[in-house]
Amino acid sequence: MKLIAKLGLGLWMAGACAPLAVAQGPSVELKLPPYKRVKLENGMTLLLMEQHEVPLISFSVVIRSGAVVDPPGKEGLAAVTAELLRKGTKTRTADQLSSDLDFIGGQLAANASPDSSSIAAEFVTKDLVKGLDLLADVILSPTFPADEVAKVLKQRLDGIKAAKDRAQGVIGQYFNRYLYGSHPYARPPAGDETSLATLTRDDVVRFYGANYIPGGIIFAVSGDFATSEVEKLLTGKFSTWRAKPSPAVRFPDPIPVQGKRLLLVDKPDATQTFFRIGNVGVARSNPDRVWIDVVNTLFGGRFTSWLSTELRIKSGLTYGAGSSFDERLKPGPFFISSFTPNATTVQALDLALATLKRLHEQGISEDELRSAKTYIKGQFPPQIETTDRLAATIAELEFFGLDEREVNTLYSKVDAMTLADAKRIVREYFPLGNLLFVLIGKASEIEPIVKKYAPSIDRKSIMEGGF
Amino acid sequence: MNRSIAPTILLLSVLVGPDVRAQEFDVKTHTLKNGLKILVHEDHSIPSVALHIFYRVGSRNERPGTTGLSHYFEHMMFNGAKKYGPGEFDRVMEANGGANNASTSQNVTIYEDWFPSAALELIFDLEADRIANLSFDPKVEESERAVVANERRVSVDNNNLGVLNEQLWATAFSAHPYQWPVIGWISDIESWKTEDLQNHFRMGYSPSNATMVFAGAVKFEEIVKLAERYLEVIPSRSPPTPITTQEPEQHGERRVVVHKFAQLPILMIGYHVPRTNSPEFYPLQVLETVLLSGQSSRMYQRLVDKEQVALSVAGGWDWAFDPTLFEFTVQLKTGVEVSKAEQVFNEELERLQRDGITDQELQKAKNIRIAEFYRQMKTIDGKSNTIGSYEVFFGDYRKLFSAAEDYAKVTRDEVQRVAQRYFTEKNRTTATLIPEPAAAARSDTGQVR
Repeated sequence: MKLIAKLGLGLWMAGACAPLAVAQGPSVELKLPPYKRVKLENGMTLLLMEQHEVPLISFSVVIRSGAVVDPPGKEGLAAVTAELLRKGTKTRTADQLSSDLDFIGGQLAANASPDSSSIAAEFVTKDLVKGLDLLADVILSPTFPADEVAKVLKQRLDGIKAAKDRAQGVIGQYFNRYLYGSHPYARPPAGDETSLATLTRDDVVRFYGANYIPGGIIFAVSGDFATSEVEKLLTGKFSTWRAKPSPAVRFPDPIPVQGKRLLLVDKPDATQTFFRIGNVGVARSNPDRVWIDVVNTLFGGRFTSWLSTELRIKSGLTYGAGSSFDERLKPGPFFISSFTPNATTVQALDLALATLKRLHEQGISEDELRSAKTYIKGQFPPQIETTDRLAATIAELEFFGLDEREVNTLYSKVDAMTLADAKRIVREYFPLGNLLFVLIGKASEIEPIVKKYAPSIDRKSIMEGGF
Repeated sequence: MNRSIAPTILLLSVLVGPDVRAQEFDVKTHTLKNGLKILVHEDHSIPSVALHIFYRVGSRNERPGTTGLSHYFEHMMFNGAKKYGPGEFDRVMEANGGANNASTSQNVTIYEDWFPSAALELIFDLEADRIANLSFDPKVEESERAVVANERRVSVDNNNLGVLNEQLWATAFSAHPYQWPVIGWISDIESWKTEDLQNHFRMGYSPSNATMVFAGAVKFEEIVKLAERYLEVIPSRSPPTPITTQEPEQHGERRVVVHKFAQLPILMIGYHVPRTNSPEFYPLQVLETVLLSGQSSRMYQRLVDKEQVALSVAGGWDWAFDPTLFEFTVQLKTGVEVSKAEQVFNEELERLQRDGITDQELQKAKNIRIAEFYRQMKTIDGKSNTIGSYEVFFGDYRKLFSAAEDYAKVTRDEVQRVAQRYFTEKNRTTATLIPEPAAAARSDTGQVR
């Protein structure tokens, strides 16, 4: 609490667009270290990458079912199921799992995103066998004890209340709910006050049974080990897991919002208005994704981006402003985000919109394009520096049907981009006329002045259930 | 907002256990004629460099009327010098593939640059320009003042944890400068003057008051050559006046209550503990781990899992030059009386004082610390931060290499004694946030300009 930074972490780098580095001259391509891909007979995919710099082993397990599989009205089920994995197995109670894990200084956390569920774990090399035993136990044999289910549900209900005491922690849920309407991406991955109240142990057991199946699992590991040894260990643990048919996760492409819409969420104690402006963005597999990242870096993806320059550096209207594409299986949200004092709400919103308009009308310059390219290349290597990042990266590539070219050809793709390409990217992917606004703030002060942004306003109170 | 550097640093090292590779960890040092000390760790795993520059100046060097100045000054370090004008530092760094951040604490101000090794000389040019020739432009000062006021609104005024934490420290300290917030009181934010900034620069930013740590794809000899060329010419000044005020011993519990719009109450508890460079550092670290680290920790088990009075419990203590606070933050659940949570919390500390910890808990804490040390060593950024933190707070980066031994020496008795000495009622400050309905919510009290 007492260390305060030039930039609060996560203020705007919310999406899949990580800030990505090398100066002039021809780029030497980065290479993703080699790894082995093994398909077990039951359909489970193993990815094994040796990295010997530090005596740690990192696991990234992806389950191909996320919050979009939550039945309507049962939002949060995937997340609750993931959290409950380590709350009791056939051979260990929740307390035993925690004390076994902590005793070896291990880490193990599970969660659900819209597209998938995931487990991240890490152990010191010498504890590989013990750690893997724990990890396999929670994947293969969770028992979901009734008292633990009740505890987690109660905690998550209160967790939503606590989150709503801080606007920037919940504005994403309000934005996605309002943007996606009846599409599954509208569902809050952690659920809401109403949906969590309906969840039962049976729901959890059913969700686990239908979705935690070998064919739906990508099991990536990177670190200080010998591939042959770990392959043997993993095969021993998982090859007897019975194959089941995969649930086909199918849902339509979301439809972008037409025209202008505005949701105002009243938080009567707010002295600042938090806002997001945007529309449906792009999928992770979009062929233009690297170039979109280049343009977004300039528009709202780094400290000297246009949005940050206008709203923070030149005007002092905010502490942070930016834009982000959250890339998913289907097109995820694109949004501009910032916050500003109640009294300067309109000034900040107008300036954000004017900056977006300038992106379309004036476009970016040759110098800026060069700067963004160098920045992306210069900042990328740390993204694949550690075993946990590497395990997560290869699991993610597998999940999205991508491969090592994602890393190995990044620099040449970046280098190849021209100003004409940038123009096309702006036109195709940065919405201008069709925009959705979500504001969390003190309605009694700001409602009259924000009416101008949309033909009509939708209203909610932060005290109401849901988003 | 990061909680602090300390818990992420958790350094440990190396020598115990079967795995000793981290011992090879090599740091070379050089001190320029003006007193600037440079530490270099060569690591060519990626073609990148992480640089941390620590200045031994923070909010503890401020006084009433200019609280928050260190942090505001940190912002101004990005707003123009002689060669690189307003906005140029960031623009040029990013255009050459680099990124940066900076942070201010009660004790230190830290500047961090992450860049491709090809940009090394440029980074020296940029840093030298602002250390030697920072400029002060009134227009830029006003705009940055508003940025800081907005930072205060988002991290304190619109953040219940921020509001309560500020009150906890303001109540626990009556004499020492740790009583005011790093971001500053709003009335001080409104009142800083250009000469305050200039004074702060003269006071805190002498090269002899700084430590630079490079980790990554660099060569020690090249760093020294560049440092001599770009930085050695910057003249040295006297160091900040030593902080002589000591917080007097606390002789009874202090309590503070904040009424604020909220859905759930919050409980924060602080105990005065020694500074970082003290013989009790390692026993306290073990204590922190036993109480708070992981779902098997005592506080999680009791408050969150068994009694279910809390949604979460967190805490720890910052690395500090002066005696500081060991804090606990308990987010209560719906319908739980604050007094009930306090009672359970106090029972748990009394049990610790009465019975101490078990052998198994002691070993667990040591294992967790070793694993966390390795995690810190995964990145060049972590290495740079760790080396610098040991150098600055222990006076010698080599303390890093004896940390594992120092942990190994910690006994159950020591841990129990430390708990008995510090976690007492008389030494306690309790802060509670009590939710009040929307109608009573106040309007903005933090207007600037």
